[in-house]
Amino acid sequence: MELINAQFVFKIAAGLYGLSLVAAFLPGRPRGVVWIFLLPALLANFAAVALRYWQAWPMLPMYLGPVALPFFLGLLLLFSSRKDGNDVIVRRMIFALTVIIALAAACFPKDFYLPFLKSCTPLAHLFFVFGVAGKGCFLVGAVWAMAGLHPNHRTLGIESQTALNRSLRWTVWGFSFWTLSMFAGELWSYLGWGTPVVWDDPAITTAMATWFFYICLLHLHLTGSWSARGRGAYAAAGALVILGLNCLPDLGPFRWPF
Amino acid sequence: MAVLIMMRRLFIIWNKLGSIHLTVILCLLLAVDLTCGYVCLNRRTTLFAPLNDIGLAAWIDTYGRYNLAYTAWFFILLGLLTLLCVNTFVCTTDHVAALMRTRALFSFHRLFFKFAPHVMHYALIVILSGYLSSYLFAQVLDTRTLVPGASMTLPDTKARINFEDFDPVYYRSDRLPAFRDRVLRPRARLLLTDGDRRRAAVLTANRPVNFKGYGIFLKDFAPKEKEGGMDRRIRIDMSIRKDPGVRFYMAGMLLFTAGLVMYLVEWFFFRKVKKEAL
Repeated sequence: MELINAQFVFKIAAGLYGLSLVAAFLPGRPRGVVWIFLLPALLANFAAVALRYWQAWPMLPMYLGPVALPFFLGLLLLFSSRKDGNDVIVRRMIFALTVIIALAAACFPKDFYLPFLKSCTPLAHLFFVFGVAGKGCFLVGAVWAMAGLHPNHRTLGIESQTALNRSLRWTVWGFSFWTLSMFAGELWSYLGWGTPVVWDDPAITTAMATWFFYICLLHLHLTGSWSARGRGAYAAAGALVILGLNCLPDLGPFRWPF
Repeated sequence: MAVLIMMRRLFIIWNKLGSIHLTVILCLLLAVDLTCGYVCLNRRTTLFAPLNDIGLAAWIDTYGRYNLAYTAWFFILLGLLTLLCVNTFVCTTDHVAALMRTRALFSFHRLFFKFAPHVMHYALIVILSGYLSSYLFAQVLDTRTLVPGASMTLPDTKARINFEDFDPVYYRSDRLPAFRDRVLRPRARLLLTDGDRRRAAVLTANRPVNFKGYGIFLKDFAPKEKEGGMDRRIRIDMSIRKDPGVRFYMAGMLLFTAGLVMYLVEWFFFRKVKKEAL
């Protein structure tokens, strides 16, 4: 078991995600071909996450987000099969995002392990899992917003308002998971250090910045001062916030993947 | 007449403070300020770490004032959060009052779920107030070290903490040879005495002990390994805090979570948005 390297398994997953993306762009919407690559990609991705956990035990791998996020996005793609296929552009964009994040995690790995003494609470793991789910939902929300803003959205079979409604729905889920992740982190901070905020990790500020960014979006829907397109553009910009503020700090220096 | 003018001005100020446009602007400014905070905090966490021990007032007077280039974002954050609290309170109170006036228009359960955002708003104020009181009024004792058999008295009380025994759990697996026989779970057995009352407690990492309003946290311990190592004498270092804010922010988080659940139920079951898949 020690011989199986988690990073190597993850590179396989990233390659399979790439093949799924290529299959998603083949003419005739060959859904079966996509699944042939996506299912093993998800299995390999799950194995990579599980191996990182298992091999690091009794320590907690801290920067597992970019490795787990493609798995979450892939799961969303897997469980969102639709028969009319009018969301094909959205699915392709999510596929592309999954591949970009997976490639980034494969080329810029970052390893830091927290001692078991500090992470021996379920809250440490809930903080991580809810955080990944939050990021995934926010990204899907941003993709739906981009689809709604697409100049040819009608020819693509997407109603702008429907896309923005879906974007909002995913944002609400993302906000819920993100909030739960922050609360789990705060409880962990209290139990482990006795304080509401642990200032040793600057990521606390980006997590809070993301939270306020999305609170702003949820309130924009109440004001009526921004047009639907304006709100859509703001929601689409959320992808930059998630990638720039929450995924980028989890990446390390470049390492040639082969 | 003067009273009327004053009332009118107060009403205008109240309305402006409760404006949802102000909420939007504040949230955007907070997001920008916190992003700047990341840049300032990165690799300078030692500037902010003492906040947890010396409290906000002493920190402002020392680290805060003399490193303004890196701490200005934090002062701006405090100002923005204060404004957000006022804005949230005014806005929510207005909406709750309006909801109560029109309650006859809704069925009970519909009305109940309509309170969801207001529950979250009030909860946010409770959480932020809890944080503020934690940083302003928490009484943090210097690190206390105990060896087996030794005891200490909590300040202004007759309550005593006696360190009875150290009973750690070791890492037994051969998978990571460097970790073999290292302490996985340091368990310190304490006897807590308050007059005639006695209580046994186990203090370990991530599991503080609460006693007479104080939170007792395990900060460090020795030995770290079953055999070998330089530091073989058994000892525990405890961080002891009397923090009046904890109950507030814990209650606030619970309330916020309840509001969030209510909001999701209202969103997915009552709103007339067509249910669609991804």
